[in-house]
Amino acid sequence: MTELDNVTFQKAIQGEQPAVVDFWASWCMPCKIFAPVLEELSDELDGKADFYKLNIDDYGDLAQKYGITSIPTVIVFKNGEAADRMTGVQAKEKVLAAVEKHL
Amino acid sequence: MPEQTATTRYDAAVIGSGPAGLEAALNLKIRGKRFLLFGSPDLSRKVSAAPRIDNYLGLPGITGKELQERFTAHIAGMDIAVTPEQIQMIYPMGDFFSLASSKATYEATAVILAPGTFSARLFPGEDEFLGRGVGYCATCDAPLYKGKTVAVLGYTEEAVHEANFVAEIAARVYYVPVKKTGLMPREPVELLEGPVEGITGDTKVTGLTLGGKSIPVDGVFVLRDTVAHSSLVPGIALEDGFIKVDVNMATNLPGCFAAGDCTGRPHQYMRAAGQGQTAALNAVQYIDKKK
Repeated sequence: MTELDNVTFQKAIQGEQPAVVDFWASWCMPCKIFAPVLEELSDELDGKADFYKLNIDDYGDLAQKYGITSIPTVIVFKNGEAADRMTGVQAKEKVLAAVEKHL
Repeated sequence: MPEQTATTRYDAAVIGSGPAGLEAALNLKIRGKRFLLFGSPDLSRKVSAAPRIDNYLGLPGITGKELQERFTAHIAGMDIAVTPEQIQMIYPMGDFFSLASSKATYEATAVILAPGTFSARLFPGEDEFLGRGVGYCATCDAPLYKGKTVAVLGYTEEAVHEANFVAEIAARVYYVPVKKTGLMPREPVELLEGPVEGITGDTKVTGLTLGGKSIPVDGVFVLRDTVAHSSLVPGIALEDGFIKVDVNMATNLPGCFAAGDCTGRPHQYMRAAGQGQTAALNAVQYIDKKK
């Protein structure tokens, strides 16, 4: 999963295929557990959806813009719009279902 | 927080230090398993607060306080220590489980859930604004409230510590002792008393209603003594609000067992202990098969 910054974020979310962004931080223990699950999904959905990470410590303005108040939060973007969001660690199937809705 | 290096893989993790969790720990110890027991140093308030217990086999008329003392002596005698951390989340990774508290992550081959009931009624607005200003882990999410106003609704001593911590980051912190403990937060945390009537907002939290007054806040942390079963273990099957188990105390997730009040009624100490034992012995079989 590619780490985004202010510039690459804008480009990443504009795509026609879903862009799944994991808002995380190094001090968030549940984020550490969730990351490998998202990595797996990223491999399984290779070519269908793109998975990214955004460190909210480095890009707090983006976290603020999308109203992130609790992490991990995963947002599924499509054509630049936040189409779905999930707060907290989720079962893998739940994330998969949320992404598949937008394929 | 320092980066963790290679994580130790424990045979089992027991969540909860009531009769179910302690009995599970005892049996894991006797079977020579490496495990962690997560709970509270004073074990279980549901035990210690009981004025008199008449249906605990062999100990007629014992007080809750005495029973708790015996529990403490028993596990100490077996060299079992309680890790005083609240596990926020447990995740099945296939061959093992990952566990996260607010301080660290852990790995275990099997998990025994014995956290008790999740009896708390949600506050109006709590579910609606979850992740939009409502959070359950202050130490996790406090950095997102730099320069903002936060209310902590606390049920435990740990919640008081978390409020003190949030005050190092947020501009203003209120503490509402929903359940009173011996501990009070220190300055600059401001104490608020009164019944919590709701959490309000538009797209995000903007206020807390308390004793008929509306207080503007940007975030509310609800720090209960238990985590809702469904957010503790994503994907766990529930039935009528309790964790669904079979006669072996196995849940729908392979390697994850549950015991005690979290599996249903009647909520009785001996039932809990018996289920804890069953869960532990079946967990031992599961662990041995994995090796």
